[in-house]
Amino acid sequence: MATDYFGRAVVENWPLLLEGYAMTAVVSLLAMLLSLVLGTAIAGLRTSSVRPLRWLAAGYVECFRNTPLLIQLYFYFFGLTRLGLRLTAFQAGVAALAIYTAAYVAEVVRSGILSVDRGQRDAARALGLSYLQTQRFVVLPQALRTVLPPLGNLGIALIKNSALVSSIALADLLYVSDLIQSRTFRTFEVFTAVVVLYLSLTLPLALLVSRLERRLVVRR
Amino acid sequence: MGGWGPLAEPALWGFLAGGLWLTVQVAAVAGALSLVGGVLLALARLSPRRVLSLPAGVYVEIMRALPVFLIILYTFLAAPRLGISLDPVPAAIVALTLYTSAVLAEIVRAGIHSLPRGQADAARALGLSYRQSLRFVILPQALRLMTPAMISQLITLTKDTSLASVIGVNELARRAGIIYNTYFNPVETLLVVGAIYFALCSSLSGLSRRLEPRDAAATAVSIGEEDQVRVARG
Repeated sequence: MATDYFGRAVVENWPLLLEGYAMTAVVSLLAMLLSLVLGTAIAGLRTSSVRPLRWLAAGYVECFRNTPLLIQLYFYFFGLTRLGLRLTAFQAGVAALAIYTAAYVAEVVRSGILSVDRGQRDAARALGLSYLQTQRFVVLPQALRTVLPPLGNLGIALIKNSALVSSIALADLLYVSDLIQSRTFRTFEVFTAVVVLYLSLTLPLALLVSRLERRLVVRR
Repeated sequence: MGGWGPLAEPALWGFLAGGLWLTVQVAAVAGALSLVGGVLLALARLSPRRVLSLPAGVYVEIMRALPVFLIILYTFLAAPRLGISLDPVPAAIVALTLYTSAVLAEIVRAGIHSLPRGQADAARALGLSYRQSLRFVILPQALRLMTPAMISQLITLTKDTSLASVIGVNELARRAGIIYNTYFNPVETLLVVGAIYFALCSSLSGLSRRLEPRDAAATAVSIGEEDQVRVARG
């Protein structure tokens, strides 16, 4: 039997921790991609000229931002099963994170679109570009610069929120850490490791965001 | 069994109201403590003394980069190992405060930074001490700019209290689980409880909209962890 030392619980359970780490990364990445697509579409509806579409998009944003993610997650996992749509923990987790984050993405993208001067849009339309072409070639490329830092922050929030999937027994980083600490009773070692692992995902992104912010500020 | 039926029972409404009351209490206590903690942390971070600014900066940056769920879970798990016995409710309040103060500290710092430098210089030139210029010139203006961002973080805090259900705090989300595990009606129960949270949070965001700075030249600081759109006005 090996001698005891601080960190043993982590060293001996390293493969399990890595699996959890990978799960957190995959769930977050997938949800981020989906929320970008969904959120941009909703922002498009929110800035459209058709009033019911605007209301629909505003309703989406209000509903999903003003209810806890945990309740939404339980709804997809426990509620939809009851309605006959059986989602796996992975599917429910990704769906909940993506749908929730999309509401925030929509607000960020909308403020980006609004930050582009109206004259730009009018000029594009006057030049004969269609609505979609105007958005695609004139508005969105300019809006992108404004929205990149807040989107980066949403990515960080999403990684942090992804820890909630452990509550529906998806074996993410938090879930496996809880498993290891309850088996070994080495709470502090496991806590230290899991903190370092989460920081390794969120801090580089935070650094990137603050770089982007500084560059954009200087240019204005 | 199941369906909407059980949710029409007055007894269940009382049960949910009790959960809502605990949710509000946890959010209010953690929110008040975090406001104090956030201002103190921000001031420490802006202090010219490195013994204050360095630890405050490290704390804020690390705390903001961690999932609040992790903080809640491990505060609850670790306290007994440190010989402190924490019930679920105080553990949740401590954890939410540890986390939310860090986020609020960043909001306060951004609020102070968004003031023109001339304000601080003028205050000092008029003979106010560092402390006096903070107290009478900087903080009153900065706090006004920060109000919307702070309220949106308090909304996030209110939503985050639902995570306390996992460590056994008998608040709204946990009571929802108890109900639908009894009556097998998760869809109906979660819709009702979701609506209760919605009413709570959207009334807070209505408040935030009313309190947004009115003067045209002001720039509202809005860097809550999720609502970080910076709204430039004027």
